[in-house]
Amino acid sequence: MYLALKEIRHEKLRYGLIISMIVLIAYLIFILTGLAFGLAGENTQAIDSWDAKSIVLNKDSNINLSQSVITSDQAKNAKLTSKQAVIGSTPVVAKDKKRAKVSATFIGAKRNQFVLKDLKVSSGRKARSSHEVVVDQKFKDEGYRLGDKITLNSSNDSYQIVGFTKNAKINISPIIYGTVSTWQSLRGMMNVKVVGSAIVSKTAKYHAKNSHLKTYSISSFISKLPGYSAQNTTFGFMIGFLMIISLIIIAVFLYILTMQALPIYAVLRAQGIPARTLVATVTSQSLILMVAGLVIGAALTAATASIIPIGVPMSFNIPVLTWISIGLLIMGFIGSAIPAQKIATVDPVKVIGG
Amino acid sequence: MSVIELKNINKYFGSGISKVHVLHDVNFSANRGELILVVGPSGSGKSTFLTIAGGLQTPTSGEVIVEGKPIAQLSTAQRDKLRLNQIGFVLQSYSLVPYLKVKEQFTFVNKVKRQGNLNEAELAGLLKQLGIEQLTNKFPGELSGGQTQRVAIARALFANPDIVLADEPTAALDSARVAEVGKLFKELAETRDKAVVVVTHDTRLMQFADKAYRIMDGKMTETSVTKAAAE
Ligand SMILES: Nc1ncnc2c1ncn2[C@@H]1O[C@H](COP(=O)(O)OP(=O)(O)OP(=O)(O)O)[C@@H](O)[C@H]1O
Ligand SMILES: [Mg+2]
Repeated sequence: MYLALKEIRHEKLRYGLIISMIVLIAYLIFILTGLAFGLAGENTQAIDSWDAKSIVLNKDSNINLSQSVITSDQAKNAKLTSKQAVIGSTPVVAKDKKRAKVSATFIGAKRNQFVLKDLKVSSGRKARSSHEVVVDQKFKDEGYRLGDKITLNSSNDSYQIVGFTKNAKINISPIIYGTVSTWQSLRGMMNVKVVGSAIVSKTAKYHAKNSHLKTYSISSFISKLPGYSAQNTTFGFMIGFLMIISLIIIAVFLYILTMQALPIYAVLRAQGIPARTLVATVTSQSLILMVAGLVIGAALTAATASIIPIGVPMSFNIPVLTWISIGLLIMGFIGSAIPAQKIATVDPVKVIGG
Repeated sequence: MSVIELKNINKYFGSGISKVHVLHDVNFSANRGELILVVGPSGSGKSTFLTIAGGLQTPTSGEVIVEGKPIAQLSTAQRDKLRLNQIGFVLQSYSLVPYLKVKEQFTFVNKVKRQGNLNEAELAGLLKQLGIEQLTNKFPGELSGGQTQRVAIARALFANPDIVLADEPTAALDSARVAEVGKLFKELAETRDKAVVVVTHDTRLMQFADKAYRIMDGKMTETSVTKAAAE
């Protein structure tokens, strides 16, 4: 540790450069992770807020909520308790003369079932009639206010915004919570006997007892959200590659520095300094570099997070970032393995021989 | 009793037709308080001899005995300890850690070897004896060749070894400095009761030695000090 710190202090420029590389990588990884989680969150926020374990969809819907329709006939034998709720979902464009259009997802549900019953409004109140809606905070960011009357798609019916709710997004689209009958009319199915798009259940083992309906776990439903898996895989790969790049950088730099200093290590070995002490030097240097890089990277990330525009989905999951930091530390540790091996096996005779 | 003794040392390098016999039945011993010189031309086997004496290489046959104990029986860790505690190496180059100030070279030794080093007053005395007491806040890169060599000597003596092994310590020095270092080694051997073994091709050091060996094609013979100096 003594040698490690002394060398870093003496060679400020070299080590400063390595640290700045690690800072950039750590920063990039942190921001990407923040974005990955932010986007993932906007995909699943609403579903998470329902706290459901499973979902019943029409088995021909390809696990796509907006494609699924459950008819009254199919739902005939489905027993609904307080742990189940019917929802009808359809993409809509909401507009108000004075405001910008917003692409949204209309979710129709029943006021006596948990989706609407447990809905938390952040301002305003819950809907009392079918011409009142509660909408995601995004609408507020877009300039919509309580009392605004919106129309959906090309229908002439207007719906008054009576409440805003936070974290109500599904598949990155803000939700408009209304009634199932509104959903029915938006889908043009007023004269068809339908129940909704899906039945969400807080229990994992719920069955609707009809061969056309199938129960999916919420996690498999989420993984089938359009684009969701692809997005996560992309981020996962980017983060993984950055990890590997950080490993290569630290390994290469430490290797070069160690090879330059090998004669000194050889002499120290000749002087009886245990190999362990010298190996600890390079290992602790690697860890010091990593920790310094991570701390500065984290500080930059925090600074970025505080000035990021509202529209950018970013969410910092501390446990995950901690694991990523530990991962980078392990990379540093692995990166010092080759130089450490060089030091441990250095032959003093080679240097003294001259 | 000799503090270090080499008995019938043979060293071969390589095998088959490229096999070379570098040391032939070398016998050597050194006592405390003596400056012993091993003089020989380039390639004669001086460094090989010194590294075997210091336990850095093992001889093909023969025995190295340090303070009565054959070092062949020691483990790697025990040999590290032997070099840390009983042997001080002074080398031609690289002897100092470049990013440690002169005083930190000693701090580092204190961190690795916690006991038996010189205390602060003794170190101050040693630095004074070597004439480098003003240099403690300098980095090795800021020292001249002669100053570096003297700091390296101080570094070797700081751990208070019984034996000092020096390989070509005067290679980078001019005649005046050579005489100074020769005198210094002699003085250190006497005042500090060390066995100081210096291998060199520099016969100018002869006049300071208590005992001298001549090494030629790996064969070592004791030689009279005055005779060698006269050459
Ligand atoms: N590892 C090795 N493998 C093969 N031959 C070696 C090895 N080390 C030394 N030698 C040979 O042993 C002989 C003695 O080498 P050594 O380094 O001991 O000489 P030296 O007296 O120290 O020379 P110099 O004054 O040039 O430092 C040389 O011929 C050298 O080529
Ligand atoms: Mg040599």
